[in-house]
Amino acid sequence: MKNVIYSIAAIGLCVMLGHLIAQALGTLPSSLYGLICLTLLLHFNIVSAKKVSDSIGWAISNMGICFVPAGVGIIDHFDLIKSHGLSIVLIIFFSTFVLLTFIGVFFQKATFKDLHTQKSTDD
Amino acid sequence: MIDMLTIDYNAALTTTSLVVGTLVFYVLFAKLQVKLKAIWLNPMLFTIILIAAFLMIIDMPFVEYFEATSLINGLVEPAVVALGYPLYQHLNTIKHQWKSIVLLLTLGVLLVIPISLILTMCFIALPEIAVSLSLKSVTTPIGISLTEALNGNNSVTAFAIILAGFFGSLFGVPWLNFINVTSAKAQGLAIGAASHALGTATISKISYEHAAYGSISIILSAVSTAIISPILIPFLFTYFS
Repeated sequence: MKNVIYSIAAIGLCVMLGHLIAQALGTLPSSLYGLICLTLLLHFNIVSAKKVSDSIGWAISNMGICFVPAGVGIIDHFDLIKSHGLSIVLIIFFSTFVLLTFIGVFFQKATFKDLHTQKSTDD
Repeated sequence: MIDMLTIDYNAALTTTSLVVGTLVFYVLFAKLQVKLKAIWLNPMLFTIILIAAFLMIIDMPFVEYFEATSLINGLVEPAVVALGYPLYQHLNTIKHQWKSIVLLLTLGVLLVIPISLILTMCFIALPEIAVSLSLKSVTTPIGISLTEALNGNNSVTAFAIILAGFFGSLFGVPWLNFINVTSAKAQGLAIGAASHALGTATISKISYEHAAYGSISIILSAVSTAIISPILIPFLFTYFS
Protein backbone atom coordinates (compact mmCIF):
# COMPACT_ATOMS: atom_id res chain seq x y z
CA MET A 1 0.00 0.00 0.00
CA LYS A 2 2.87 2.33 0.91
CA ASN A 3 4.41 1.68 -2.49
CA VAL A 4 1.11 2.37 -4.24
CA ILE A 5 0.89 5.81 -2.61
CA TYR A 6 4.56 6.42 -3.38
CA SER A 7 3.98 5.54 -7.05
CA ILE A 8 0.89 7.77 -7.31
CA ALA A 9 2.86 10.64 -5.77
CA ALA A 10 5.76 10.08 -8.20
CA ILE A 11 3.43 10.05 -11.21
CA GLY A 12 1.53 13.08 -9.91
CA LEU A 13 4.75 15.01 -9.48
CA CYS A 14 5.81 14.19 -13.05
CA VAL A 15 2.38 15.16 -14.43
CA MET A 16 2.79 18.57 -12.76
CA LEU A 17 6.37 18.99 -13.91
CA GLY A 18 5.22 18.05 -17.43
CA HIS A 19 2.62 20.83 -17.34
CA LEU A 20 5.14 23.37 -16.11
CA ILE A 21 7.69 22.47 -18.79
CA ALA A 22 5.04 22.40 -21.53
CA GLN A 23 3.93 25.90 -20.50
CA ALA A 24 7.48 27.16 -20.60
CA LEU A 25 8.69 25.43 -23.76
CA GLY A 26 5.60 24.44 -25.76
CA THR A 27 6.27 22.14 -28.78
CA LEU A 28 5.45 18.76 -27.19
CA PRO A 29 2.33 17.67 -25.27
CA SER A 30 2.75 17.96 -21.49
CA SER A 31 2.36 14.22 -20.94
CA LEU A 32 5.49 13.59 -23.03
CA TYR A 33 7.52 15.97 -20.88
CA GLY A 34 6.09 14.22 -17.81
CA LEU A 35 7.21 10.89 -19.24
CA ILE A 36 10.74 12.19 -19.77
CA CYS A 37 10.75 13.63 -16.20
CA LEU A 38 9.84 10.24 -14.73
CA THR A 39 12.57 8.54 -16.76
CA LEU A 40 15.16 11.05 -15.52
CA LEU A 41 14.00 10.92 -11.87
CA LEU A 42 14.29 7.12 -11.98
CA HIS A 43 17.61 7.23 -13.80
CA PHE A 44 19.18 9.53 -11.21
CA ASN A 45 17.67 7.49 -8.40
CA ILE A 46 15.58 10.39 -7.09
CA VAL A 47 12.52 8.16 -7.42
CA SER A 48 13.09 4.55 -6.36
CA ALA A 49 12.48 2.15 -9.24
CA LYS A 50 12.01 -0.73 -6.80
CA LYS A 51 9.10 0.97 -5.05
CA VAL A 52 7.21 1.92 -8.21
CA SER A 53 7.78 -1.22 -10.30
CA ASP A 54 4.71 -3.26 -9.18
CA SER A 55 2.15 -0.45 -9.26
CA ILE A 56 3.35 1.01 -12.55
CA GLY A 57 3.59 -2.43 -14.14
CA TRP A 58 -0.03 -3.06 -13.14
CA ALA A 59 -1.13 0.36 -14.38
CA ILE A 60 0.52 -0.12 -17.76
CA SER A 61 -1.01 -3.53 -18.34
CA ASN A 62 -4.47 -2.05 -17.63
CA MET A 63 -4.14 1.31 -19.35
CA GLY A 64 -6.58 0.26 -22.09
CA ILE A 65 -9.44 1.42 -19.86
CA CYS A 66 -8.33 5.06 -20.23
CA PHE A 67 -9.17 5.06 -23.94
CA VAL A 68 -12.70 3.68 -23.61
CA PRO A 69 -14.49 7.08 -23.25
CA ALA A 70 -12.71 8.59 -26.28
CA GLY A 71 -13.38 5.46 -28.34
CA VAL A 72 -17.11 5.49 -27.57
CA GLY A 73 -17.15 8.92 -29.32
CA ILE A 74 -17.37 7.05 -32.59
CA ILE A 75 -21.17 6.80 -32.10
CA ASP A 76 -21.35 10.49 -33.03
CA HIS A 77 -19.90 9.71 -36.46
CA PHE A 78 -22.22 7.16 -38.00
CA ASP A 79 -22.70 9.24 -41.15
CA LEU A 80 -18.98 9.21 -41.72
CA ILE A 81 -18.83 5.46 -41.10
CA LYS A 82 -21.75 4.83 -43.43
CA SER A 83 -20.18 6.74 -46.31
CA HIS A 84 -16.45 6.16 -45.73
CA GLY A 85 -16.10 3.46 -43.07
CA LEU A 86 -14.61 0.81 -45.34
CA SER A 87 -12.06 3.19 -46.92
CA ILE A 88 -11.04 4.43 -43.46
CA VAL A 89 -10.50 0.90 -42.14
CA LEU A 90 -8.59 -0.12 -45.28
CA ILE A 91 -6.32 2.96 -45.13
CA ILE A 92 -5.57 2.33 -41.44
CA PHE A 93 -5.00 -1.35 -42.13
CA PHE A 94 -2.72 -0.74 -45.12
CA SER A 95 -0.58 2.04 -43.61
CA THR A 96 -0.21 0.14 -40.31
CA PHE A 97 1.12 -2.89 -42.19
CA VAL A 98 3.47 -0.78 -44.31
CA LEU A 99 4.94 0.73 -41.13
CA LEU A 100 5.16 -2.65 -39.37
CA THR A 101 6.95 -4.16 -42.34
CA PHE A 102 9.29 -1.21 -42.89
CA ILE A 103 10.48 -0.97 -39.27
CA GLY A 104 10.56 -4.74 -38.75
CA VAL A 105 12.54 -5.60 -41.89
CA PHE A 106 15.08 -2.80 -41.61
CA PHE A 107 15.67 -3.14 -37.89
CA GLN A 108 16.17 -6.87 -38.23
CA LYS A 109 18.76 -6.13 -40.93
CA ALA A 110 20.49 -3.59 -38.66
CA THR A 111 20.60 -5.97 -35.68
CA PHE A 112 21.73 -8.81 -37.91
CA LYS A 113 24.70 -6.67 -38.95
CA ASP A 114 25.41 -5.92 -35.25
CA LEU A 115 25.33 -9.64 -34.58
CA HIS A 116 28.22 -10.14 -36.95
CA THR A 117 30.27 -7.17 -35.85
CA GLN A 118 29.76 -7.47 -32.10
CA LYS A 119 29.31 -11.24 -31.89
CA SER A 120 26.58 -10.61 -29.36
CA THR A 121 24.65 -13.68 -28.34
CA ASP A 122 21.14 -12.32 -28.59
CA ASP A 123 18.88 -12.57 -31.57
CA MET B 1 -34.66 23.23 -2.79
CA ILE B 2 -35.72 19.63 -2.65
CA ASP B 3 -35.92 19.60 -6.45
CA MET B 4 -32.36 20.80 -6.78
CA LEU B 5 -31.14 18.15 -4.40
CA THR B 6 -32.94 15.44 -6.36
CA ILE B 7 -31.40 16.62 -9.62
CA ASP B 8 -27.89 16.64 -8.18
CA TYR B 9 -28.50 13.26 -6.64
CA ASN B 10 -29.63 11.85 -9.96
CA ALA B 11 -26.67 13.32 -11.83
CA ALA B 12 -24.26 11.92 -9.26
CA LEU B 13 -25.94 8.54 -9.49
CA THR B 14 -25.74 8.56 -13.30
CA THR B 15 -22.07 9.58 -13.23
CA THR B 16 -21.21 6.91 -10.68
CA SER B 17 -23.06 4.15 -12.49
CA LEU B 18 -21.51 5.08 -15.85
CA VAL B 19 -17.99 5.09 -14.39
CA VAL B 20 -18.54 1.90 -12.39
CA GLY B 21 -20.26 0.25 -15.35
CA THR B 22 -17.33 1.07 -17.64
CA LEU B 23 -14.85 -0.29 -15.08
CA VAL B 24 -16.88 -3.45 -14.44
CA PHE B 25 -17.25 -4.25 -18.15
CA TYR B 26 -13.55 -3.68 -18.70
CA VAL B 27 -12.54 -5.91 -15.78
CA LEU B 28 -14.95 -8.64 -16.90
CA PHE B 29 -13.60 -8.61 -20.47
CA ALA B 30 -10.02 -8.53 -19.17
CA LYS B 31 -10.74 -11.59 -16.97
CA LEU B 32 -12.46 -13.35 -19.86
CA GLN B 33 -9.49 -12.64 -22.13
CA VAL B 34 -7.10 -14.24 -19.62
CA LYS B 35 -9.41 -17.18 -18.99
CA LEU B 36 -10.01 -18.00 -22.65
CA LYS B 37 -6.42 -17.11 -23.59
CA ALA B 38 -7.94 -15.28 -26.59
CA ILE B 39 -5.76 -12.37 -27.66
CA TRP B 40 -8.49 -11.04 -29.99
CA LEU B 41 -10.82 -10.55 -27.04
CA ASN B 42 -9.40 -7.10 -26.39
CA PRO B 43 -11.09 -5.70 -23.27
CA MET B 44 -10.82 -2.10 -24.49
CA LEU B 45 -12.47 -2.73 -27.86
CA PHE B 46 -15.23 -4.92 -26.45
CA THR B 47 -15.99 -2.42 -23.68
CA ILE B 48 -16.24 0.35 -26.28
CA ILE B 49 -18.62 -1.67 -28.46
CA LEU B 50 -20.78 -2.69 -25.52
CA ILE B 51 -21.03 0.84 -24.14
CA ALA B 52 -21.65 2.34 -27.58
CA ALA B 53 -24.53 -0.11 -28.07
CA PHE B 54 -25.83 0.59 -24.57
CA LEU B 55 -25.81 4.38 -25.11
CA MET B 56 -27.74 3.97 -28.34
CA ILE B 57 -30.33 1.74 -26.64
CA ILE B 58 -30.94 4.14 -23.74
CA ASP B 59 -30.63 7.07 -26.16
CA MET B 60 -27.97 8.90 -24.18
CA PRO B 61 -25.88 11.44 -26.14
CA PHE B 62 -22.13 10.74 -26.22
CA VAL B 63 -21.29 14.13 -24.66
CA GLU B 64 -23.19 13.15 -21.52
CA TYR B 65 -21.29 9.86 -21.23
CA PHE B 66 -17.97 11.55 -21.95
CA GLU B 67 -18.54 14.20 -19.28
CA ALA B 68 -19.63 11.59 -16.75
CA THR B 69 -16.52 9.49 -17.37
CA SER B 70 -14.08 12.43 -17.41
CA LEU B 71 -12.44 10.76 -14.41
CA ILE B 72 -11.41 7.79 -16.58
CA ASN B 73 -10.42 9.99 -19.49
CA GLY B 74 -8.30 12.05 -17.08
CA LEU B 75 -6.17 8.96 -16.45
CA VAL B 76 -4.79 9.13 -19.99
CA GLU B 77 -2.16 11.66 -19.02
CA PRO B 78 -0.78 9.81 -15.96
CA ALA B 79 -0.84 6.63 -18.09
CA VAL B 80 1.49 8.21 -20.63
CA VAL B 81 3.73 9.49 -17.85
CA ALA B 82 3.86 5.95 -16.44
CA LEU B 83 5.49 4.84 -19.72
CA GLY B 84 8.59 6.64 -18.42
CA TYR B 85 9.20 3.56 -16.27
CA PRO B 86 9.71 1.05 -19.12
CA LEU B 87 11.79 3.69 -20.93
CA TYR B 88 14.03 3.98 -17.84
CA GLN B 89 14.25 0.19 -17.59
CA HIS B 90 15.35 -0.17 -21.18
CA LEU B 91 17.63 2.83 -21.62
CA ASN B 92 20.65 0.58 -21.15
CA THR B 93 19.31 -1.96 -23.61
CA ILE B 94 19.31 0.49 -26.50
CA LYS B 95 22.52 2.30 -25.56
CA HIS B 96 24.47 0.84 -28.47
CA GLN B 97 21.70 1.09 -31.04
CA TRP B 98 19.98 4.36 -30.29
CA LYS B 99 21.20 6.04 -33.48
CA SER B 100 19.79 3.40 -35.82
CA ILE B 101 16.59 3.23 -33.75
CA VAL B 102 15.98 7.00 -33.85
CA LEU B 103 16.81 7.15 -37.57
CA LEU B 104 14.55 4.25 -38.46
CA LEU B 105 11.61 5.51 -36.39
CA THR B 106 11.96 8.99 -37.91
CA LEU B 107 11.95 7.50 -41.41
CA GLY B 108 8.90 5.45 -40.39
CA VAL B 109 7.04 8.64 -39.41
CA LEU B 110 8.11 10.32 -42.67
CA LEU B 111 6.72 7.30 -44.53
CA VAL B 112 3.44 6.66 -42.74
CA ILE B 113 2.13 10.24 -42.52
CA PRO B 114 2.29 10.90 -46.31
CA ILE B 115 0.86 7.44 -47.12
CA SER B 116 -2.14 7.88 -44.83
CA LEU B 117 -2.73 11.52 -45.76
CA ILE B 118 -2.47 11.05 -49.52
CA LEU B 119 -4.65 7.93 -49.56
CA THR B 120 -7.30 9.67 -47.45
CA MET B 121 -7.28 12.76 -49.67
CA CYS B 122 -7.56 10.58 -52.79
CA PHE B 123 -10.38 8.33 -51.58
CA ILE B 124 -12.26 10.39 -49.00
CA ALA B 125 -11.16 13.97 -49.71
CA LEU B 126 -11.94 15.29 -46.21
CA PRO B 127 -8.88 17.15 -44.80
CA GLU B 128 -10.15 16.72 -41.23
CA ILE B 129 -10.19 12.94 -41.59
CA ALA B 130 -6.83 12.96 -43.40
CA VAL B 131 -5.21 14.65 -40.38
CA SER B 132 -6.79 12.15 -38.01
CA LEU B 133 -5.69 9.12 -40.00
CA SER B 134 -2.11 10.42 -40.39
CA LEU B 135 -1.77 10.58 -36.62
CA LYS B 136 -3.13 7.12 -35.85
CA SER B 137 0.17 5.34 -35.14
CA VAL B 138 1.02 7.26 -31.97
CA THR B 139 -0.22 6.81 -28.44
CA THR B 140 -3.70 8.32 -27.84
CA PRO B 141 -3.02 11.47 -25.76
CA ILE B 142 -0.28 12.61 -28.12
CA GLY B 143 -2.36 11.79 -31.18
CA ILE B 144 -5.28 13.76 -29.71
CA SER B 145 -3.26 16.86 -28.84
CA LEU B 146 -1.67 16.88 -32.29
CA THR B 147 -5.12 16.42 -33.89
CA GLU B 148 -6.35 19.51 -32.07
CA ALA B 149 -3.36 21.56 -33.15
CA LEU B 150 -3.71 20.48 -36.81
CA ASN B 151 -7.53 20.75 -37.06
CA GLY B 152 -8.34 17.08 -37.27
CA ASN B 153 -11.28 15.26 -35.73
CA ASN B 154 -10.70 13.97 -32.18
CA SER B 155 -13.14 11.09 -32.16
CA VAL B 156 -11.94 9.81 -35.53
CA THR B 157 -8.32 10.02 -34.33
CA ALA B 158 -9.23 8.17 -31.13
CA PHE B 159 -10.93 5.41 -33.07
CA ALA B 160 -8.25 5.23 -35.77
CA ILE B 161 -5.60 4.89 -33.05
CA ILE B 162 -7.55 2.05 -31.46
CA LEU B 163 -7.94 0.31 -34.83
CA ALA B 164 -4.22 0.66 -35.61
CA GLY B 165 -3.44 -0.73 -32.17
CA PHE B 166 -5.91 -3.51 -32.61
CA PHE B 167 -4.55 -4.58 -36.00
CA GLY B 168 -1.05 -4.65 -34.58
CA SER B 169 -1.97 -6.66 -31.50
CA LEU B 170 -3.95 -9.18 -33.50
CA PHE B 171 -1.89 -9.59 -36.67
CA GLY B 172 1.45 -7.93 -35.83
CA VAL B 173 3.39 -10.94 -34.60
CA PRO B 174 1.89 -13.48 -37.06
CA TRP B 175 2.55 -11.07 -39.96
CA LEU B 176 6.13 -10.32 -38.90
CA ASN B 177 6.84 -14.05 -38.47
CA PHE B 178 5.31 -14.64 -41.90
CA ILE B 179 7.66 -12.13 -43.57
CA ASN B 180 10.54 -13.68 -41.63
CA VAL B 181 11.08 -10.84 -39.16
CA THR B 182 11.50 -13.13 -36.17
CA SER B 183 13.89 -11.19 -33.93
CA ALA B 184 12.22 -10.09 -30.69
CA LYS B 185 13.85 -6.65 -30.93
CA ALA B 186 12.60 -6.00 -34.48
CA GLN B 187 9.09 -7.24 -33.63
CA GLY B 188 8.93 -5.02 -30.55
CA LEU B 189 10.18 -1.94 -32.37
CA ALA B 190 7.84 -2.46 -35.34
CA ILE B 191 4.73 -3.06 -33.23
CA GLY B 192 5.51 -0.15 -30.88
CA ALA B 193 5.85 2.18 -33.88
CA ALA B 194 2.74 1.02 -35.73
CA SER B 195 0.43 0.00 -32.89
CA HIS B 196 1.66 2.02 -29.88
CA ALA B 197 0.66 1.04 -26.32
CA LEU B 198 -2.14 -1.30 -27.32
CA GLY B 199 0.08 -3.44 -29.53
CA THR B 200 2.95 -3.29 -27.05
CA ALA B 201 0.76 -4.31 -24.12
CA THR B 202 -0.27 -7.40 -26.08
CA ILE B 203 3.23 -8.47 -27.11
CA SER B 204 4.83 -7.64 -23.75
CA LYS B 205 3.68 -11.06 -22.55
CA ILE B 206 5.85 -12.80 -25.17
CA SER B 207 9.28 -11.69 -23.95
CA TYR B 208 11.14 -8.99 -22.05
CA GLU B 209 12.73 -7.78 -25.29
CA HIS B 210 9.35 -7.36 -26.95
CA ALA B 211 8.26 -5.16 -24.04
CA ALA B 212 11.52 -3.21 -23.97
CA TYR B 213 11.74 -2.41 -27.67
CA GLY B 214 7.98 -1.83 -27.87
CA SER B 215 8.05 0.79 -25.11
CA ILE B 216 11.07 2.54 -26.57
CA SER B 217 9.43 2.60 -29.96
CA ILE B 218 6.14 4.08 -28.66
CA ILE B 219 7.94 6.90 -26.94
CA LEU B 220 10.44 7.77 -29.63
CA SER B 221 7.83 7.53 -32.42
CA ALA B 222 5.54 9.82 -30.44
CA VAL B 223 8.31 12.37 -29.95
CA SER B 224 9.31 12.35 -33.61
CA THR B 225 5.66 12.55 -34.74
CA ALA B 226 5.11 15.53 -32.42
CA ILE B 227 8.10 17.30 -33.96
CA ILE B 228 7.57 16.31 -37.62
CA SER B 229 3.77 16.39 -38.13
CA PRO B 230 3.16 20.14 -37.52
CA ILE B 231 5.54 20.84 -40.43
CA LEU B 232 4.89 17.88 -42.71
CA ILE B 233 1.06 17.81 -42.63
CA PRO B 234 0.49 21.47 -43.70
CA PHE B 235 3.20 20.97 -46.34
CA LEU B 236 1.43 17.92 -47.80
CA PHE B 237 -1.89 19.79 -47.87
CA THR B 238 -0.42 22.42 -50.21
CA TYR B 239 -0.64 19.74 -52.93
CA PHE B 240 -4.37 19.30 -52.41
CA SER B 241 -5.54 22.89 -52.40
